[in-house]
Amino acid sequence: MTSSNYLLLQARRMQFYALLFSVMLSLVFSSNSTAKQWQSVLDNGQNHNVYFHAWGGDPQINSYIQWLAQQVKRQYNIDLHHIKLTDTSEAVSRVLAERSAGNHSDGKIDLIWINGANFAAMAKHGLLTPDWANQLPNFALTNPSHNPAVSLDFGVPTQGMESPWGQAALTFYYDSAAMTAPPKTINQLLSWSAQHQGRFTYPRPPDFIGVSFLKYALISLTPKAQQSLLYQPVSKQSAALLLPNLWQFLDALHPNLWRSGQYFVSSSTALRRLVGDTELSLALTFSASEVPAAVARFDLPTSIRSYAMSDGSLSNIHFVAIPYNAANADSAKLVANFMLSVNAQAKKQHPEIWGDNTVLDLATLHPEQAAQFQLSNPHPSSLAPNHHSPALAEPHPSWVKVIEQQWLTRYGAQ
Amino acid sequence: MIQPRDLFTQSIQLSPALLMALLVIPVVGGLIGVLLPAFGYIPALDKTTFTLSGFYSLFNTAGFGTMLLLSAVSSLVSTLLAFTITVLILACYFNSPWLYRIQRLLGPILVIPHAAAAIAISFLITPSGMMSRLFSPWLTQWQSPADWLLPHDPWAISMILGLTLKELPFLLLMALGALAQADLGEKLRAQHKVAMSLGYCPMTAFFKVVLPNLYPFLRLPILAVLAYASASVEIPLILGPNAPPTLAVAIMQWFNDVDLTLRIQASAGAIMQLLLTMTLLLSWWLLEKLIKRFSYNSLINGRREYAGQLIMRFTQLLTVILLTVIMLSLIGLILWSFAGYWRFPDALPSQFVLLHWQHALQHMQTPLLNTITIGFIATFVAVILTLSTLEAEQLRARNLSNFASLLIYLPMLIPSIAFLFGLVWLQEQVGSHHAYFNVIFGHLLFVLPYVFLSLASSYRRLDPRFSYLAASLGVTPSKVFLRVKLPQLLAPILIAFALGLAVSFSQYLPTLLSGGGRINTITTEAVALAGGASRRVSAVYALMQMLLPAMAFLLAWFIPKLVFTKQNAAHYVSTSSTKTTP
Repeated sequence: MTSSNYLLLQARRMQFYALLFSVMLSLVFSSNSTAKQWQSVLDNGQNHNVYFHAWGGDPQINSYIQWLAQQVKRQYNIDLHHIKLTDTSEAVSRVLAERSAGNHSDGKIDLIWINGANFAAMAKHGLLTPDWANQLPNFALTNPSHNPAVSLDFGVPTQGMESPWGQAALTFYYDSAAMTAPPKTINQLLSWSAQHQGRFTYPRPPDFIGVSFLKYALISLTPKAQQSLLYQPVSKQSAALLLPNLWQFLDALHPNLWRSGQYFVSSSTALRRLVGDTELSLALTFSASEVPAAVARFDLPTSIRSYAMSDGSLSNIHFVAIPYNAANADSAKLVANFMLSVNAQAKKQHPEIWGDNTVLDLATLHPEQAAQFQLSNPHPSSLAPNHHSPALAEPHPSWVKVIEQQWLTRYGAQ
Repeated sequence: MIQPRDLFTQSIQLSPALLMALLVIPVVGGLIGVLLPAFGYIPALDKTTFTLSGFYSLFNTAGFGTMLLLSAVSSLVSTLLAFTITVLILACYFNSPWLYRIQRLLGPILVIPHAAAAIAISFLITPSGMMSRLFSPWLTQWQSPADWLLPHDPWAISMILGLTLKELPFLLLMALGALAQADLGEKLRAQHKVAMSLGYCPMTAFFKVVLPNLYPFLRLPILAVLAYASASVEIPLILGPNAPPTLAVAIMQWFNDVDLTLRIQASAGAIMQLLLTMTLLLSWWLLEKLIKRFSYNSLINGRREYAGQLIMRFTQLLTVILLTVIMLSLIGLILWSFAGYWRFPDALPSQFVLLHWQHALQHMQTPLLNTITIGFIATFVAVILTLSTLEAEQLRARNLSNFASLLIYLPMLIPSIAFLFGLVWLQEQVGSHHAYFNVIFGHLLFVLPYVFLSLASSYRRLDPRFSYLAASLGVTPSKVFLRVKLPQLLAPILIAFALGLAVSFSQYLPTLLSGGGRINTITTEAVALAGGASRRVSAVYALMQMLLPAMAFLLAWFIPKLVFTKQNAAHYVSTSSTKTTP
């Protein structure tokens, strides 16, 4: 008994060493070839333009991208141009138009800031360069083997088509001059909205925040036992099973919303303006740091406070991708790699700069490097770092379309 | 007339054809570029069979009927309102110096880009806006803004207000432009006086004598305004309802949707938009015919008075309200651009800061440079082409045919949303990847008609005897053009130039689409920020959008003064010196 156990253990150990050896061998070889590959990227990528198509609605993020441009100019002599989009789908249409015109190698977009449905659409139509993101030297800092989230975009494997850039969680903020206690769960939100008529709204789909709010509501309203259905491709049955909860909730919520739910703003940024106008008392965002920044710029009153819902915060990772026909793909890889560097990620996480959470695994970093991510003196309007809110993973992207379509038929045309 | 065949004459002779080609090919090509996908033909999505599925899904879209109705009603009502108010103002102030004062006050609105105007109006009428702050809480008792659906009301009232305010100055300016034509203006004024001496009330005299002669000059501008309003994107985006939006806005959203197969529906929608606009233009024309027919008798029935005083009072009140609305919108915009914290219902911000201007100016350099460069190049080309086409007219001694004139206004009459997406596809087809060039080309399509419209009448009005005289002295046509005609036309050319710049500055869709989003201008930034988070930054950009064309017009007004003062001084010196010689 004991000896057989011992043998088994020995065999396992042998197996383990063999595995370790093969892994090391492959690491040596592959790192050798990766190093060579990367050297060619370095050689080809320097001294070019990179057209970076990224949502341009936030001045803080725009300033951060300007800083990136200065850095890659200095390091690689790359001219990074930020093409400010109002909606990332504009870039998707652009690449499609280029392909339909037979432009397969001289595309105007070198790098896109992307995730979720836009990524799923581009991946499905083969509009992205595959297998480059996992080759980036700095990608190892995300510790991908222990942190599978960096290779999954809303549950869809990225297959090296996109490199992680940052992560965000749905954060709520409220005007403390207009109320004492904000709603902490989806059901409290309903009762709160009945008491505070017209002081809350969410953007209409397909706006990102609007869809995110619907997804948060859907997850929170779905019984735990059925939640796994949300992480599989949607089917007629699962939609018919789960969505009625959401519509029932919205039917009750909408009459209490801003403009009685007859009009929904088209973009999430409009929410912040309406809070600034004191028309709304409660709103939500995916970039928690925009709230204190907006207070500092007078766009929001000083009485604003941020918090996370206690029944969970929808969170996701956002990425950068290279279209299949990018004219300067190698230069774009250099930029993406720089975006994953400790310096760039630490600066990005700073609340005064952007406040976007890093995708790096701080445990893999030097203590001094990790220290760059510590912050001091939070603004009174910013999100408390020790909030207790479980992270809610994004449902499978196929749900987005169904939610959007049914929302539009139910509430889109009145 | 025998023409010398020098290089100048030859190239001038070619320019009308070039001008037509420049306008017609992109528009027609662009239309084909949406026609194919509308019938389900998109090779990029591996769809190469022709189907009607796009139209089926279009008709099955939730709220499709409402979209059509919204587009049709808002454009028709706003055009009708703008036209009525224009006519009322003209009638009320026909012989008054106030006509030109009102023109001066409203003129600048003409050059304010649609986006900026919409932003200003939305600041005024939202429940937390200027208007409600002025009356709160002392009158309304509101401590927090009312939950009223303004702007974006489902009846499109705010949108109609925005469109009317934007169309009115254009129509008024066009009418005054026609009246400024020496022969027409003098004739009409004289006839008006005769009518009044026959006992007609000034209002009645205007309606019975002046309007029937003036209207033909307003027809095309009105149709352009109607076509624009039926398919515009900026004003409905900022002021219009969105559940559902107007057809044009919906098309733009479908074109930009992640779901690429929606492009088929979007293209079908673009075709639908085209039909809608054509139907509206046709209905206006029919309406005009009907009114002409039924008012014919009342024109000659000899009645002198139709509550003229009452209508005059009403018009005066309307004018005051209009000017107040415009002033308040502007004041609101300026206040926001300097505002610190500004809680409702305070009528003034609690502090004034320069932060928003500083911040915006730091980030504005590239868009500003783009705006100015593109505007200058597009306008320069447009002015040159227009001048040579007009010169060709005179060399040939006949005006462009009616058909050709209509072609020039093609980009103004065909909804841009219907052909721009196709144009981008076309530019890809011919391998034109230079974003800057594509944008300038796109702008030229819209600048050219306005420049032509603005220059044509002055050019054609030019007294031909100067050129005959010069020609009889043996001067070549090129010299006549450069030394005789252009100097006389300095003021109108500069005005046309400023107008061209203003049109270029305000372009949103052509910049966005032709440039592939690569080229940012003040306008694309302003629209991107309009729905955005900061009223303050948005106000700065909207003001900047207003300042740019204002500066162009200021220069256009100032340069001729400077030149003529110099010339007059020189002239005075020369005449006084001739006088002294015996």
